[in-house]
Amino acid sequence: MDTVMYEQTNEQDNRITLEDLRPRPEKKKTFSEHFMPRLHPGILFDPRKCTGCGTCEMVCSSRNISRVAPASASIQVIRDENRIKNFAILCQHCRAPLCVEACPTRAIEKGEDGIVRINKLFCVSCGLCTMACPEAAPLQDPTTGEINKCDMCEGDPQCVKYCPSGALTLTGGKRFRWIKGLRWSVQTLSFLLMAVILIGTFCSLKAGALSFSCPTGVLQNIASSGTVVLVWVFSTFILLGLTLLAGRFFCGWICPFGFFLDLVDKITPKKVGLPSFLKSRMAKYGILAGAVGGSCAFGSQVFCPICPIGSICRSYGTTGTLNGANMGIVAALAGLEVTERRVWCRYFCPVGAVLALCAKVGLIKIVIGANQCKKFSCIQCAEVCPMGIIDADKLREGVSPDIPMTECITCMRCIDRCPYGAAKIRFRWQKTVPGNIEL
Amino acid sequence: MAKDTDKIAEAILSSGAGSCVECGRCVAVCPMAEMYSNFSIEMSPRGVIKKALTGNAIITDENIWYCTECNAGTDVCPQGVSCRDLIRALREIAIEEKMVEGLKQCSRCGRRFLPIPAKNFVFERLREEPTNVLNTLELCPSCRREIYMLRNT
Repeated sequence: MDTVMYEQTNEQDNRITLEDLRPRPEKKKTFSEHFMPRLHPGILFDPRKCTGCGTCEMVCSSRNISRVAPASASIQVIRDENRIKNFAILCQHCRAPLCVEACPTRAIEKGEDGIVRINKLFCVSCGLCTMACPEAAPLQDPTTGEINKCDMCEGDPQCVKYCPSGALTLTGGKRFRWIKGLRWSVQTLSFLLMAVILIGTFCSLKAGALSFSCPTGVLQNIASSGTVVLVWVFSTFILLGLTLLAGRFFCGWICPFGFFLDLVDKITPKKVGLPSFLKSRMAKYGILAGAVGGSCAFGSQVFCPICPIGSICRSYGTTGTLNGANMGIVAALAGLEVTERRVWCRYFCPVGAVLALCAKVGLIKIVIGANQCKKFSCIQCAEVCPMGIIDADKLREGVSPDIPMTECITCMRCIDRCPYGAAKIRFRWQKTVPGNIEL
Repeated sequence: MAKDTDKIAEAILSSGAGSCVECGRCVAVCPMAEMYSNFSIEMSPRGVIKKALTGNAIITDENIWYCTECNAGTDVCPQGVSCRDLIRALREIAIEEKMVEGLKQCSRCGRRFLPIPAKNFVFERLREEPTNVLNTLELCPSCRREIYMLRNT
């Protein structure tokens, strides 16, 4: 007996949905937030310090549901007896929470203070938020089926307060504000020095007994003339030596064209996608090899006339004239910025290629995600990285990404931005990131 | 088949569904109306209760696999009928009868943890998320925690 019990009307268009009843509040950035994003509090967990005692579970449940029931707490400690590791799972109060999206009654909302709360008025305890959380943070009480979510105890988390080993810490977020200011002032200063004030260009400078040359230019000189002049070789040592110590800091802090691209980035919308055949980070090595080979064949420097770094230095003549051809090169390559940030530096720059080879054997590395990184709930470092080398997909999977120092320009934007101090500079031989586990 | 009927009768008795007065309050608060565009009276708690009371084809009915087992209907019922308990009991019988296609299995441990329509709803809401996030959501919550732990310790 499979009869239709009631006549069903097909009036799908006239249905009133939650969108009509309670529309989502529009997120508006205030003027100051464009320059200084708001910092939200967070609870950090250090697995090295956790002893697995379970005090956090007990104090959490006694505050939130008024009884000591560790299984119902909003923080759960999982204990791996084989590997002798403990780990606490707790709500990370994501920047873009998936539970908010998944909630059918729109009961979960992220407050102005960054804390994700459940409005008990609308919650029907369906448990779909648990299913949407990538980390499966404890939201649903397994015994009663009620939804009890971490609300950071309104600013005074009991788990942090009573953790005997100090594995849990409350942080309001911090920022190295001075790095940003320092980098922009260094960049401006070097731009003014190289492009406007100094008579020479970046390609070859002389200051007293010290001489300084572009390593790519020197390679082309050697190839075209067939002779090795020791002064040329020694003049590249300053830059190459510093690159060994500090990575490709030249690209991020000194390069006048890089500074120009950073400025252009501020105003260009990223609308167009770069064709995939151009997206090879090995292309710059090809251009370098082509430049050296071409110089050997033609007997003159083939790349330097079109080099944007040289062009930006030459476009302003000492007599006050503007050089149209050089400015054209600079403008054309800056136009590539509508696709991605720093396209020239990422894929094509042969000067960067020489420095990248040097940085590959350098002393330092950038580490994202020691034990403070909040992984998928944050991902701010990947957003600010101008070279796009921080793998947001890895972070979304809960893994700390490897950062190739050949591509990193040591601009320290990630270190500046990370609110939890998880992005750090470390020596190459220091072991900091745990290994990846496949699904 | 007689055994099934006994079990259904027991489920109706234990959930109090026999005292349903068809007021429809549970339908008014049911979140399935927001979740599924094909929400119908057959799918709603009242329809399921009525079908369980009148017919015996309820076990093979796919409508019992839409419910998210929330507490909204039970909260508002004037007669104290727990539609959640009824759905749970009916699902248990259906699983015993080897009709388990209604539940999503964890891709790692094989545990059944979520009705497929509810899973589809979550994936539809999160369709703009990258695929590796959605791959994580294929796992059951305890596997997700375990993977997250393995990756970070």
